[in-house]
Amino acid sequence: MAHPYWKGYLKLSLVTCPVAMTPATSESEKVRFHTLNKETGNRVVSEYVDAISGKPVSEEAEAKGYARGENDYVILTDADLDTVALESTRTIDIEVFAPRDSIQWVYLEKPHYLTPNETVGQEAYSVIRDAMAASKVVGVSRLVIGRRERAVILEPRGDGIVLWTLRYGDEVRPEESYFDSIDGEAETEMMPLVQKLIKQRKKEWSPAMVEDPVQESLLAMIAEKKKALKPAKKGKPAPSPATQPGSNIINIMDTLRRSIEANGSSGKRA
Amino acid sequence: MAAHRAQWKGFIKFGEVSCGVSLYTAASTSGRIAFNTINQDTGNRVRREFVDSETGKTVPKEQQVKGFQVENGQYIELDSEEVAAAVPEANKMLDIRAFIDCHSIDDVYFDKPYYLTPSDRISQEAFVLLRDGMRREKVAAIARTVLFRRVRTVLIRPHGKGLIATTLNYDYEVRSSKAAFEDIPTIKIDGEMLQLANHIIGTKIGTFDPASFDDRYEEAVAELVKAKTEGRSLPRKKEVKVSQPNDLLAALRESAGVQAAAAPDKPKRTAANANTGRQKAARKSTAKSVVAIPQRKAS
Repeated sequence: MAHPYWKGYLKLSLVTCPVAMTPATSESEKVRFHTLNKETGNRVVSEYVDAISGKPVSEEAEAKGYARGENDYVILTDADLDTVALESTRTIDIEVFAPRDSIQWVYLEKPHYLTPNETVGQEAYSVIRDAMAASKVVGVSRLVIGRRERAVILEPRGDGIVLWTLRYGDEVRPEESYFDSIDGEAETEMMPLVQKLIKQRKKEWSPAMVEDPVQESLLAMIAEKKKALKPAKKGKPAPSPATQPGSNIINIMDTLRRSIEANGSSGKRA
Repeated sequence: MAAHRAQWKGFIKFGEVSCGVSLYTAASTSGRIAFNTINQDTGNRVRREFVDSETGKTVPKEQQVKGFQVENGQYIELDSEEVAAAVPEANKMLDIRAFIDCHSIDDVYFDKPYYLTPSDRISQEAFVLLRDGMRREKVAAIARTVLFRRVRTVLIRPHGKGLIATTLNYDYEVRSSKAAFEDIPTIKIDGEMLQLANHIIGTKIGTFDPASFDDRYEEAVAELVKAKTEGRSLPRKKEVKVSQPNDLLAALRESAGVQAAAAPDKPKRTAANANTGRQKAARKSTAKSVVAIPQRKAS
Protein backbone atom coordinates (compact mmCIF):
# COMPACT_ATOMS: atom_id res chain seq x y z
CA MET A 1 0.00 0.00 0.00
CA ALA A 2 1.29 3.37 -0.96
CA HIS A 3 1.93 5.83 1.82
CA PRO A 4 -1.04 8.21 2.11
CA TYR A 5 -0.30 11.64 0.86
CA TRP A 6 -3.14 13.36 2.65
CA LYS A 7 -5.41 12.37 5.51
CA GLY A 8 -8.58 14.14 6.48
CA TYR A 9 -12.33 13.90 6.38
CA LEU A 10 -15.06 13.45 3.82
CA LYS A 11 -18.28 15.21 4.65
CA LEU A 12 -21.78 15.15 3.26
CA SER A 13 -24.11 17.40 5.23
CA LEU A 14 -24.00 16.00 8.79
CA VAL A 15 -22.16 12.81 7.86
CA THR A 16 -18.38 12.86 8.34
CA CYS A 17 -15.86 10.05 7.86
CA PRO A 18 -12.06 9.82 7.99
CA VAL A 19 -10.39 9.33 4.61
CA ALA A 20 -6.92 8.97 3.14
CA MET A 21 -5.77 10.06 -0.28
CA THR A 22 -2.92 8.97 -2.55
CA PRO A 23 -2.08 10.20 -6.06
CA ALA A 24 -3.08 7.77 -8.80
CA THR A 25 0.10 8.56 -10.66
CA SER A 26 3.67 8.22 -9.51
CA GLU A 27 7.13 8.63 -10.94
CA SER A 28 8.66 5.91 -8.83
CA GLU A 29 8.82 3.33 -11.62
CA LYS A 30 10.44 5.68 -14.05
CA VAL A 31 14.05 5.08 -15.00
CA ARG A 32 15.71 7.43 -12.60
CA PHE A 33 18.95 9.13 -13.31
CA HIS A 34 21.09 10.91 -10.85
CA THR A 35 23.13 13.86 -11.88
CA LEU A 36 26.86 13.28 -11.63
CA ASN A 37 29.83 15.58 -11.76
CA LYS A 38 31.65 14.48 -14.90
CA GLU A 39 35.03 15.42 -13.47
CA THR A 40 34.86 13.74 -10.09
CA GLY A 41 32.19 11.09 -10.73
CA ASN A 42 30.45 12.20 -7.55
CA ARG A 43 26.77 12.88 -7.30
CA VAL A 44 25.50 16.39 -7.78
CA VAL A 45 23.04 17.50 -5.15
CA SER A 46 20.95 20.60 -4.97
CA GLU A 47 21.42 22.86 -2.03
CA TYR A 48 19.72 26.02 -0.85
CA VAL A 49 21.92 29.03 -0.49
CA ASP A 50 21.09 32.46 0.85
CA ALA A 51 20.24 34.69 -2.11
CA ILE A 52 22.24 37.58 -0.68
CA SER A 53 25.18 36.02 1.16
CA GLY A 54 25.45 32.92 -1.06
CA LYS A 55 26.04 30.79 2.02
CA PRO A 56 24.40 27.39 2.38
CA VAL A 57 21.16 27.40 4.35
CA SER A 58 20.52 24.53 6.73
CA GLU A 59 17.24 22.70 6.46
CA GLU A 60 16.13 23.92 9.88
CA ALA A 61 16.60 27.53 8.83
CA GLU A 62 14.35 27.13 5.79
CA ALA A 63 10.89 28.56 6.22
CA LYS A 64 7.95 29.60 4.09
CA GLY A 65 7.72 33.32 3.60
CA TYR A 66 4.75 35.44 2.72
CA ALA A 67 5.77 38.54 0.78
CA ARG A 68 4.71 41.70 2.58
CA GLY A 69 6.78 44.02 0.49
CA GLU A 70 9.98 44.21 -1.50
CA ASN A 71 12.36 41.71 0.12
CA ASP A 72 10.21 41.78 3.24
CA TYR A 73 8.68 38.48 4.26
CA VAL A 74 6.53 37.34 7.11
CA ILE A 75 7.73 33.90 8.05
CA LEU A 76 5.12 31.26 8.69
CA THR A 77 5.94 27.92 10.24
CA ASP A 78 4.12 24.72 9.37
CA ALA A 79 2.36 24.96 12.72
CA ASP A 80 1.16 28.46 11.81
CA LEU A 81 -0.08 27.32 8.44
CA ASP A 82 -2.01 24.51 10.08
CA THR A 83 -4.18 27.09 11.74
CA VAL A 84 -5.31 28.69 8.49
CA ALA A 85 -9.01 29.30 8.95
CA LEU A 86 -10.22 27.14 6.09
CA GLU A 87 -12.20 23.95 6.62
CA SER A 88 -10.85 22.72 3.31
CA THR A 89 -7.39 22.10 4.80
CA ARG A 90 -8.70 18.89 6.30
CA THR A 91 -12.32 18.37 5.31
CA ILE A 92 -13.68 17.63 1.85
CA ASP A 93 -17.18 18.99 2.33
CA ILE A 94 -19.27 18.17 -0.73
CA GLU A 95 -21.18 21.33 -1.52
CA VAL A 96 -22.62 20.55 -4.94
CA PHE A 97 -23.32 17.50 -7.06
CA ALA A 98 -23.27 17.70 -10.83
CA PRO A 99 -23.59 15.32 -13.77
CA ARG A 100 -20.16 13.94 -14.63
CA ASP A 101 -20.36 15.10 -18.23
CA SER A 102 -20.96 18.68 -17.13
CA ILE A 103 -17.32 18.90 -16.00
CA GLN A 104 -15.19 19.16 -19.11
CA TRP A 105 -12.19 16.91 -19.46
CA VAL A 106 -9.81 19.82 -20.01
CA TYR A 107 -10.33 20.82 -16.39
CA LEU A 108 -9.18 17.49 -14.95
CA GLU A 109 -5.67 17.98 -13.61
CA LYS A 110 -4.50 15.22 -11.34
CA PRO A 111 -6.27 12.05 -10.18
CA HIS A 112 -6.08 10.69 -6.64
CA TYR A 113 -7.57 7.67 -4.94
CA LEU A 114 -9.68 8.42 -1.88
CA THR A 115 -10.21 5.56 0.57
CA PRO A 116 -11.76 5.17 4.03
CA ASN A 117 -9.03 5.63 6.62
CA GLU A 118 -10.52 3.94 9.65
CA THR A 119 -13.01 1.15 10.13
CA VAL A 120 -15.40 3.59 11.78
CA GLY A 121 -15.89 5.47 8.52
CA GLN A 122 -16.29 2.60 6.09
CA GLU A 123 -20.06 2.56 6.08
CA ALA A 124 -20.48 6.33 5.77
CA TYR A 125 -17.92 6.30 2.93
CA SER A 126 -19.83 3.54 1.19
CA VAL A 127 -23.15 5.39 1.53
CA ILE A 128 -21.72 8.55 -0.05
CA ARG A 129 -20.05 6.57 -2.85
CA ASP A 130 -23.12 4.46 -3.64
CA ALA A 131 -25.50 7.40 -3.56
CA MET A 132 -23.33 9.32 -6.03
CA ALA A 133 -23.26 6.26 -8.29
CA ALA A 134 -27.04 5.78 -8.02
CA SER A 135 -27.69 9.45 -8.75
CA LYS A 136 -25.15 9.40 -11.61
CA VAL A 137 -23.36 12.48 -10.31
CA VAL A 138 -19.96 13.59 -9.11
CA GLY A 139 -19.41 15.61 -5.95
CA VAL A 140 -17.81 19.04 -6.16
CA SER A 141 -15.76 20.37 -3.27
CA ARG A 142 -12.68 22.31 -2.19
CA LEU A 143 -9.42 21.03 -0.81
CA VAL A 144 -6.18 22.69 0.21
CA ILE A 145 -3.23 20.87 -1.39
CA GLY A 146 0.28 22.25 -1.66
CA ARG A 147 -0.66 25.59 -0.08
CA ARG A 148 -3.42 26.32 -2.54
CA GLU A 149 -7.10 25.76 -2.37
CA ARG A 150 -8.23 23.59 -5.24
CA ALA A 151 -11.59 22.78 -6.75
CA VAL A 152 -11.98 19.00 -6.70
CA ILE A 153 -14.50 16.51 -7.97
CA LEU A 154 -15.24 13.13 -6.45
CA GLU A 155 -16.26 10.31 -8.71
CA PRO A 156 -17.37 6.85 -7.57
CA ARG A 157 -15.39 4.08 -9.23
CA GLY A 158 -15.77 0.42 -8.34
CA ASP A 159 -15.32 0.10 -4.58
CA GLY A 160 -13.68 3.48 -4.26
CA ILE A 161 -13.76 7.17 -5.10
CA VAL A 162 -11.47 8.97 -7.53
CA LEU A 163 -10.71 12.56 -6.56
CA TRP A 164 -9.61 14.92 -9.32
CA THR A 165 -8.07 18.30 -8.71
CA LEU A 166 -9.39 20.72 -11.32
CA ARG A 167 -7.47 23.38 -13.15
CA TYR A 168 -8.30 26.97 -12.34
CA GLY A 169 -10.63 28.73 -14.77
CA ASP A 170 -7.99 31.10 -16.07
CA GLU A 171 -5.58 28.23 -16.77
CA VAL A 172 -7.69 26.72 -19.53
CA ARG A 173 -7.29 28.72 -22.68
CA PRO A 174 -10.48 29.77 -24.46
CA GLU A 175 -11.13 27.18 -27.14
CA GLU A 176 -12.99 29.61 -29.42
CA SER A 177 -9.82 31.44 -30.34
CA TYR A 178 -8.35 28.16 -31.60
CA PHE A 179 -11.38 26.47 -33.12
CA ASP A 180 -13.44 29.32 -34.52
CA SER A 181 -11.85 29.29 -37.93
CA ILE A 182 -12.59 25.62 -38.52
CA ASP A 183 -15.42 25.57 -41.02
CA GLY A 184 -17.79 23.10 -42.46
CA GLU A 185 -19.09 19.71 -41.71
CA ALA A 186 -18.14 16.34 -43.04
CA GLU A 187 -19.54 15.42 -46.42
CA THR A 188 -22.45 13.10 -45.86
CA GLU A 189 -21.43 10.66 -48.58
CA MET A 190 -18.07 10.09 -46.93
CA MET A 191 -19.48 9.58 -43.47
CA PRO A 192 -20.40 5.88 -43.91
CA LEU A 193 -16.86 5.17 -45.06
CA VAL A 194 -15.28 6.87 -42.08
CA GLN A 195 -17.64 5.13 -39.72
CA LYS A 196 -16.76 1.81 -41.31
CA LEU A 197 -13.05 2.54 -40.97
CA ILE A 198 -13.52 3.46 -37.32
CA LYS A 199 -15.47 0.28 -36.62
CA GLN A 200 -12.76 -1.83 -38.27
CA ARG A 201 -10.07 -0.32 -36.09
CA LYS A 202 -11.93 -0.34 -32.82
CA LYS A 203 -10.13 -1.90 -29.89
CA GLU A 204 -10.58 -2.31 -26.18
CA TRP A 205 -8.61 0.09 -24.04
CA SER A 206 -5.47 -1.53 -22.65
CA PRO A 207 -2.54 -0.18 -20.63
CA ALA A 208 -0.33 -1.74 -23.32
CA MET A 209 -1.31 1.29 -25.40
CA VAL A 210 0.75 3.49 -23.08
CA GLU A 211 4.01 1.59 -22.98
CA ASP A 212 7.16 3.66 -23.14
CA PRO A 213 9.58 2.39 -25.80
CA VAL A 214 12.17 4.96 -24.77
CA GLN A 215 12.30 3.72 -21.21
CA GLU A 216 12.70 0.20 -22.54
CA SER A 217 15.60 1.13 -24.78
CA LEU A 218 17.24 3.13 -22.00
CA LEU A 219 17.06 0.10 -19.74
CA ALA A 220 18.49 -2.06 -22.52
CA MET A 221 21.27 0.44 -23.02
CA ILE A 222 22.08 0.41 -19.33
CA ALA A 223 22.08 -3.40 -19.22
CA GLU A 224 24.42 -3.47 -22.18
CA LYS A 225 26.81 -1.02 -20.57
CA LYS A 226 26.76 -2.99 -17.38
CA LYS A 227 27.68 -6.20 -19.19
CA ALA A 228 30.41 -4.85 -21.39
CA LEU A 229 32.27 -2.07 -19.73
CA LYS A 230 33.05 -0.59 -23.11
CA PRO A 231 30.77 2.11 -24.47
CA ALA A 232 27.71 0.74 -26.23
CA LYS A 233 27.21 1.40 -29.90
CA LYS A 234 24.62 3.98 -30.54
CA GLY A 235 21.62 2.32 -32.11
CA LYS A 236 20.57 3.91 -35.33
CA PRO A 237 16.91 4.80 -35.13
CA ALA A 238 14.80 2.59 -37.31
CA PRO A 239 13.88 4.33 -40.52
CA SER A 240 10.27 5.36 -40.49
CA PRO A 241 8.06 4.13 -43.29
CA ALA A 242 8.24 6.68 -46.04
CA THR A 243 4.90 8.35 -46.25
CA GLN A 244 4.10 11.46 -48.08
CA PRO A 245 1.76 13.25 -45.74
CA GLY A 246 -0.48 15.83 -47.19
CA SER A 247 -0.16 14.63 -50.76
CA ASN A 248 -2.94 12.10 -50.53
CA ILE A 249 -5.80 14.20 -49.37
CA ILE A 250 -6.95 15.10 -52.86
CA ASN A 251 -9.22 12.19 -53.04
CA ILE A 252 -10.14 11.31 -49.52
CA MET A 253 -12.97 9.12 -50.69
CA ASP A 254 -10.68 6.79 -52.68
CA THR A 255 -8.18 6.68 -49.90
CA LEU A 256 -10.81 5.76 -47.37
CA ARG A 257 -11.97 2.94 -49.60
CA ARG A 258 -8.42 1.68 -49.95
CA SER A 259 -7.92 1.86 -46.18
CA ILE A 260 -10.99 -0.21 -45.57
CA GLU A 261 -10.01 -2.78 -48.20
CA ALA A 262 -6.45 -2.97 -46.92
CA ASN A 263 -7.66 -3.62 -43.44
CA GLY A 264 -10.13 -6.25 -44.60
CA SER A 265 -7.54 -8.22 -46.56
CA SER A 266 -4.98 -8.24 -43.77
CA GLY A 267 -7.38 -10.26 -41.73
CA LYS A 268 -9.04 -9.34 -38.51
CA ARG A 269 -6.97 -9.40 -35.41
CA ALA A 270 -8.51 -9.59 -32.02
CA MET B 1 -7.01 38.14 -33.41
CA ALA B 2 -3.38 37.37 -32.81
CA ALA B 3 -2.39 33.95 -34.03
CA HIS B 4 -1.39 31.45 -31.39
CA ARG B 5 1.97 29.79 -31.53
CA ALA B 6 1.73 26.08 -32.23
CA GLN B 7 3.63 23.79 -29.85
CA TRP B 8 3.97 21.17 -32.53
CA LYS B 9 3.05 20.75 -36.19
CA GLY B 10 2.62 17.49 -37.98
CA PHE B 11 0.10 15.17 -39.51
CA ILE B 12 -2.70 13.03 -38.26
CA LYS B 13 -3.21 9.75 -40.09
CA PHE B 14 -6.21 7.47 -40.05
CA GLY B 15 -6.12 4.58 -42.46
CA GLU B 16 -4.40 5.99 -45.53
CA VAL B 17 -5.87 9.45 -45.05
CA SER B 18 -3.77 12.14 -43.49
CA CYS B 19 -4.06 15.83 -42.84
CA GLY B 20 -1.87 18.54 -41.41
CA VAL B 21 -2.54 19.51 -37.81
CA SER B 22 -1.23 22.01 -35.30
CA LEU B 23 -1.07 21.35 -31.59
CA TYR B 24 -1.57 24.10 -29.01
CA THR B 25 -1.30 24.06 -25.21
CA ALA B 26 -4.88 24.05 -23.86
CA ALA B 27 -4.01 24.54 -20.22
CA SER B 28 -1.02 25.94 -18.45
CA THR B 29 -0.09 26.24 -14.81
CA SER B 30 2.72 28.70 -15.42
CA GLY B 31 0.79 31.54 -13.84
CA ARG B 32 0.66 29.96 -10.41
CA ILE B 33 2.51 31.73 -7.67
CA ALA B 34 4.59 29.73 -5.27
CA PHE B 35 5.51 30.55 -1.72
CA ASN B 36 9.01 31.80 -1.26
CA THR B 37 11.47 29.81 0.76
CA ILE B 38 13.24 32.09 3.20
CA ASN B 39 16.38 31.76 5.27
CA GLN B 40 14.96 32.24 8.74
CA ASP B 41 18.28 33.44 10.13
CA THR B 42 18.72 36.32 7.71
CA GLY B 43 15.20 36.85 6.35
CA ASN B 44 16.56 36.60 2.82
CA ARG B 45 15.21 34.42 0.05
CA VAL B 46 17.09 31.28 -0.85
CA ARG B 47 18.05 29.90 -4.24
CA ARG B 48 19.00 26.48 -5.43
CA GLU B 49 22.54 25.60 -6.34
CA PHE B 50 23.98 22.36 -7.69
CA VAL B 51 27.04 21.19 -5.81
CA ASP B 52 29.32 18.16 -5.75
CA SER B 53 28.20 15.94 -2.89
CA GLU B 54 31.81 15.27 -1.83
CA THR B 55 33.67 18.50 -2.51
CA GLY B 56 30.71 20.82 -1.95
CA LYS B 57 31.79 22.89 -4.94
CA THR B 58 29.33 24.24 -7.47
CA VAL B 59 29.04 22.07 -10.59
CA PRO B 60 28.40 24.01 -13.80
CA LYS B 61 25.68 22.71 -16.14
CA GLU B 62 28.09 21.49 -18.83
CA GLN B 63 29.89 19.37 -16.26
CA GLN B 64 26.71 17.54 -15.22
CA VAL B 65 26.06 14.12 -16.67
CA LYS B 66 23.32 11.55 -16.13
CA GLY B 67 24.10 8.44 -14.13
CA PHE B 68 22.08 5.34 -13.46
CA GLN B 69 22.79 3.71 -10.13
CA VAL B 70 23.45 -0.04 -10.20
CA GLU B 71 23.41 -2.48 -7.29
CA ASN B 72 26.87 -1.88 -5.87
CA GLY B 73 26.33 1.88 -5.67
CA GLN B 74 28.29 2.46 -8.84
CA TYR B 75 26.97 4.58 -11.65
CA ILE B 76 26.60 3.92 -15.32
CA GLU B 77 27.00 7.20 -17.11
CA LEU B 78 24.95 8.18 -20.10
CA ASP B 79 25.71 11.35 -21.93
CA SER B 80 22.98 13.47 -23.45
CA GLU B 81 23.66 12.10 -26.96
CA GLU B 82 23.12 8.56 -25.78
CA VAL B 83 19.89 9.49 -24.06
CA ALA B 84 18.76 11.28 -27.20
CA ALA B 85 19.54 8.19 -29.29
CA ALA B 86 16.96 6.22 -27.32
CA VAL B 87 14.22 8.43 -28.70
CA PRO B 88 13.14 7.42 -32.21
CA GLU B 89 13.40 9.96 -34.95
CA ALA B 90 10.46 12.35 -34.96
CA ASN B 91 8.37 11.59 -38.03
CA LYS B 92 5.77 14.24 -37.22
CA MET B 93 3.02 11.70 -37.67
CA LEU B 94 0.17 11.14 -35.25
CA ASP B 95 -0.70 7.70 -36.50
CA ILE B 96 -4.05 6.50 -35.18
CA ARG B 97 -3.54 2.96 -33.93
CA ALA B 98 -7.02 2.30 -32.59
CA PHE B 99 -10.38 3.80 -31.79
CA ILE B 100 -11.84 3.12 -28.38
CA ASP B 101 -15.29 3.64 -26.93
CA CYS B 102 -15.52 6.94 -25.06
CA HIS B 103 -17.07 5.32 -22.01
CA SER B 104 -14.33 2.68 -21.67
CA ILE B 105 -11.48 5.18 -21.38
CA ASP B 106 -9.61 5.04 -18.10
CA ASP B 107 -9.19 8.74 -17.44
CA VAL B 108 -6.65 8.35 -14.63
CA TYR B 109 -4.07 8.12 -17.44
CA PHE B 110 -4.81 11.69 -18.54
CA ASP B 111 -1.86 14.03 -18.50
CA LYS B 112 -2.10 17.34 -20.39
CA PRO B 113 -4.65 18.57 -22.91
CA TYR B 114 -3.79 20.21 -26.24
CA TYR B 115 -6.02 21.76 -28.86
CA LEU B 116 -5.63 20.23 -32.31
CA THR B 117 -6.58 22.21 -35.38
CA PRO B 118 -6.14 21.68 -39.14
CA SER B 119 -2.94 23.44 -40.06
CA ASP B 120 -4.18 24.72 -43.40
CA ARG B 121 -7.29 25.04 -45.52
CA ILE B 122 -6.62 21.92 -47.52
CA SER B 123 -6.39 19.80 -44.38
CA GLN B 124 -9.74 20.96 -43.13
CA GLU B 125 -11.89 18.49 -45.04
CA ALA B 126 -10.17 15.37 -43.72
CA PHE B 127 -9.97 16.89 -40.24
CA VAL B 128 -13.69 17.59 -40.10
CA LEU B 129 -14.42 14.14 -41.46
CA LEU B 130 -12.41 12.45 -38.71
CA ARG B 131 -13.93 14.67 -36.04
CA ASP B 132 -17.53 14.04 -37.10
CA GLY B 133 -16.96 10.33 -37.69
CA MET B 134 -15.57 9.90 -34.18
CA ARG B 135 -18.41 11.92 -32.75
CA ARG B 136 -21.01 9.74 -34.45
CA GLU B 137 -19.33 6.54 -33.35
CA LYS B 138 -18.76 7.91 -29.82
CA VAL B 139 -15.11 6.97 -29.90
CA ALA B 140 -11.75 8.56 -29.18
CA ALA B 141 -8.57 7.76 -31.08
CA ILE B 142 -5.29 6.47 -29.70
CA ALA B 143 -2.24 7.77 -31.53
CA ARG B 144 1.45 7.82 -30.85
CA THR B 145 4.22 10.13 -31.88
CA VAL B 146 7.42 11.76 -30.72
CA LEU B 147 6.36 14.85 -28.81
CA PHE B 148 8.77 17.11 -26.95
CA ARG B 149 11.54 14.48 -27.23
CA ARG B 150 9.53 11.64 -25.77
CA VAL B 151 7.39 8.97 -27.39
CA ARG B 152 3.93 9.94 -26.23
CA THR B 153 0.59 8.23 -26.59
CA VAL B 154 -2.25 10.70 -26.99
CA LEU B 155 -5.98 10.34 -26.82
CA ILE B 156 -7.76 12.38 -29.46
CA ARG B 157 -11.42 13.22 -29.23
CA PRO B 158 -13.84 15.72 -30.76
CA HIS B 159 -14.38 18.92 -28.80
CA GLY B 160 -16.66 21.56 -30.26
CA LYS B 161 -15.40 22.44 -33.72
CA GLY B 162 -11.98 21.03 -33.03
CA LEU B 163 -10.15 18.11 -31.48
CA ILE B 164 -8.43 17.78 -28.13
CA ALA B 165 -5.36 15.60 -27.85
CA THR B 166 -4.59 14.56 -24.28
CA THR B 167 -1.18 13.10 -23.56
CA LEU B 168 -1.46 9.90 -21.55
CA ASN B 169 0.77 8.88 -18.68
CA TYR B 170 2.87 5.76 -19.21
CA ASP B 171 1.68 2.42 -17.85
CA TYR B 172 4.35 2.41 -15.14
CA GLU B 173 3.28 5.85 -13.93
CA VAL B 174 -0.31 4.92 -13.07
CA ARG B 175 -1.50 2.79 -10.18
CA SER B 176 -4.61 0.82 -10.96
CA SER B 177 -7.79 1.80 -9.14
CA LYS B 178 -8.44 -1.89 -8.53
CA ALA B 179 -5.27 -2.25 -6.51
CA ALA B 180 -5.87 1.03 -4.67
CA PHE B 181 -9.39 0.02 -3.68
CA GLU B 182 -8.90 -3.67 -2.96
CA ASP B 183 -8.77 -3.14 0.80
CA ILE B 184 -12.12 -1.39 0.93
CA PRO B 185 -14.62 -3.89 2.31
CA THR B 186 -17.86 -4.37 0.42
CA ILE B 187 -20.60 -3.18 2.73
CA LYS B 188 -24.21 -3.77 1.89
CA ILE B 189 -25.86 -0.39 2.32
CA ASP B 190 -29.21 -0.27 4.03
CA GLY B 191 -31.98 0.77 1.61
CA GLU B 192 -33.16 3.66 3.72
CA MET B 193 -29.65 5.03 4.14
CA LEU B 194 -29.13 5.04 0.41
CA GLN B 195 -32.51 6.64 -0.15
CA LEU B 196 -31.71 9.38 2.37
CA ALA B 197 -28.29 9.97 0.84
CA ASN B 198 -29.86 10.19 -2.61
CA HIS B 199 -32.29 12.73 -1.26
CA ILE B 200 -29.49 14.82 0.24
CA ILE B 201 -27.69 14.73 -3.09
CA GLY B 202 -30.92 15.81 -4.78
CA THR B 203 -31.04 18.94 -2.67
CA LYS B 204 -27.48 19.78 -3.65
CA ILE B 205 -27.72 19.15 -7.38
CA GLY B 206 -26.33 22.03 -9.32
CA THR B 207 -23.80 23.00 -11.88
CA PHE B 208 -20.18 23.81 -11.39
CA ASP B 209 -18.25 26.28 -13.44
CA PRO B 210 -14.54 25.90 -12.73
CA ALA B 211 -14.06 29.45 -14.03
CA SER B 212 -16.01 30.81 -11.06
CA PHE B 213 -13.86 29.05 -8.46
CA ASP B 214 -11.66 31.22 -6.28
CA ASP B 215 -8.65 30.10 -4.30
CA ARG B 216 -9.26 31.43 -0.77
CA TYR B 217 -5.96 30.19 0.61
CA GLU B 218 -3.92 33.29 0.04
CA GLU B 219 -6.58 35.44 1.67
CA ALA B 220 -6.70 33.10 4.65
CA VAL B 221 -2.92 33.28 4.94
CA ALA B 222 -3.08 37.07 4.77
CA GLU B 223 -5.44 36.95 7.75
CA LEU B 224 -2.94 34.75 9.53
CA VAL B 225 -0.09 37.12 8.74
CA LYS B 226 -2.12 40.01 10.10
CA ALA B 227 -2.88 38.13 13.29
CA LYS B 228 0.76 37.23 13.67
CA THR B 229 2.12 40.75 13.08
CA GLU B 230 -0.44 42.16 15.49
CA GLY B 231 0.65 39.64 18.07
CA ARG B 232 -2.77 38.05 18.31
CA SER B 233 -2.88 34.39 19.23
CA LEU B 234 -3.81 32.08 16.40
CA PRO B 235 -7.14 30.31 16.79
CA ARG B 236 -7.00 26.60 17.43
CA LYS B 237 -9.01 24.34 15.24
CA LYS B 238 -12.02 22.49 16.51
CA GLU B 239 -11.93 18.72 16.59
CA VAL B 240 -13.72 17.09 13.69
CA LYS B 241 -16.58 14.90 14.87
CA VAL B 242 -16.65 11.65 12.96
CA SER B 243 -20.02 9.95 12.47
CA GLN B 244 -20.19 6.70 14.43
CA PRO B 245 -21.72 3.71 12.68
CA ASN B 246 -24.59 3.65 15.21
CA ASP B 247 -25.41 7.29 14.53
CA LEU B 248 -25.07 7.14 10.77
CA LEU B 249 -28.76 6.61 10.03
CA ALA B 250 -29.74 9.38 12.44
CA ALA B 251 -27.18 11.75 10.88
CA LEU B 252 -28.53 10.97 7.42
CA ARG B 253 -32.11 11.55 8.56
CA GLU B 254 -31.20 14.82 10.15
CA SER B 255 -29.29 15.89 7.05
CA ALA B 256 -32.25 15.03 4.87
CA GLY B 257 -34.53 17.01 7.15
CA VAL B 258 -36.52 13.98 8.17
CA GLN B 259 -38.17 14.40 11.59
CA ALA B 260 -36.72 12.00 14.09
CA ALA B 261 -40.21 11.47 15.48
CA ALA B 262 -41.49 10.22 12.13
CA ALA B 263 -38.83 7.58 12.04
CA PRO B 264 -38.60 5.42 15.12
CA ASP B 265 -35.05 4.49 15.77
CA LYS B 266 -35.13 0.90 14.71
CA PRO B 267 -31.94 -1.02 14.10
CA LYS B 268 -30.81 -1.58 10.57
CA ARG B 269 -33.32 -2.71 8.04
CA THR B 270 -32.51 -4.93 5.19
CA ALA B 271 -32.24 -3.29 1.81
CA ALA B 272 -35.94 -3.60 1.16
CA ASN B 273 -37.17 -2.34 -2.13
CA ALA B 274 -39.54 0.56 -1.59
CA ASN B 275 -41.99 -0.95 -4.04
CA THR B 276 -42.44 -4.26 -2.30
CA GLY B 277 -45.36 -4.80 0.01
CA ARG B 278 -43.14 -5.67 2.92
CA GLN B 279 -43.07 -2.13 4.19
CA LYS B 280 -44.20 -1.47 7.69
CA ALA B 281 -46.26 1.57 8.53
CA ALA B 282 -43.36 3.28 10.19
CA ARG B 283 -41.19 2.72 7.17
CA LYS B 284 -43.87 4.11 4.89
CA SER B 285 -44.05 7.36 6.77
CA THR B 286 -40.31 7.73 6.49
CA ALA B 287 -40.28 6.84 2.86
CA LYS B 288 -43.02 9.35 2.08
CA SER B 289 -41.09 12.26 3.47
CA VAL B 290 -38.14 11.28 1.35
CA VAL B 291 -38.74 13.03 -1.91
CA ALA B 292 -37.53 11.17 -4.93
CA ILE B 293 -34.79 13.11 -6.57
CA PRO B 294 -34.93 13.74 -10.29
CA GLN B 295 -32.52 11.37 -11.96
CA ARG B 296 -30.60 13.65 -14.19
CA LYS B 297 -29.01 11.67 -16.91
CA ALA B 298 -25.77 12.96 -18.22
CA SER B 299 -26.38 13.56 -21.86
